[in-house]
Amino acid sequence: MKEHLKEHLKECLRNYFIIVTGINLAVFILGMIFKPDQKLGYDAFLYPIIYGALTSIPNLLMVEKKEPTVRQTIFREIIGVILISAILLTTMFGGMKITGELIAISCGIVLSVICITLMVNAVSWILDSKKAESLTNDLVAFQNKING
Amino acid sequence: MKNTDKPLDVEVKLIHPEETEYVKIGCHKVDDRIDEITRFIKSRQGSLEGYSEGDMYNIPITDVYYIESVDDRTFLYLEKETYESRKRLYELEKVTDSFHFIRISKSVVVNLMKVDSIKPALNGRFSCKLKNGEDVIISRKYVQGLKDKLKG
Repeated sequence: MKEHLKEHLKECLRNYFIIVTGINLAVFILGMIFKPDQKLGYDAFLYPIIYGALTSIPNLLMVEKKEPTVRQTIFREIIGVILISAILLTTMFGGMKITGELIAISCGIVLSVICITLMVNAVSWILDSKKAESLTNDLVAFQNKING
Repeated sequence: MKNTDKPLDVEVKLIHPEETEYVKIGCHKVDDRIDEITRFIKSRQGSLEGYSEGDMYNIPITDVYYIESVDDRTFLYLEKETYESRKRLYELEKVTDSFHFIRISKSVVVNLMKVDSIKPALNGRFSCKLKNGEDVIISRKYVQGLKDKLKG
């Protein structure tokens, strides 16, 4: 298997587990808001795993041979959010009658997808900023050492 | 007698083995003669063959900012110019390793001496801001290797 495909699969797997955790959180928050008295069976434990797999499909299909620029990555994230929302809404409510409550829950789900994406990227950005600062300091020291 | 016709004084000084060896030129202005000497010294330290519009050039390795492989073709990027190389990226990676170059993604090898700073990019990747203002992406996979190289 080509090296970049291997890397891509690894990244998708890592993101899958983050998404499953995010879905669990979203189900808890949305459930408490819209249906706090709802009783669920053991099959409820399967849903985050299934939805996690479904929402990983867009990521899995977006393979790039060339390393994307920051702008391309942002564009990819936006497309990803739209596709994930579409997959989730179709799977959960496909064929159901559109009611006011359904629209409210759908908005909540889309908002959750956006929030989870933003949260994951924000945390990652803060951690990476510190690492980048440390790398730049190491780089300056390295260049000074070489230049005497 | 023009200033450029005057012979340069040549001084060779022995330095401590731990110090980095250097060549320093004292001149009134950087003219063609100084450029020629600089190019000669750089070429003695290693050069790469680069092609532009059918002509072959000897490019001092230390002038290369980064090397990129695009669609099975390899390009050498200097401050402003770009040359094509007939060597593969992995071959150039080996040749330039002792000149402080490092692989930062599957398609790019960068000259660490030409990097100005490192910033975060998205998805656990980083971006190298080069001294000519260009940005090149560091893949997540190569970050640890870069860290190890910088730490020595």
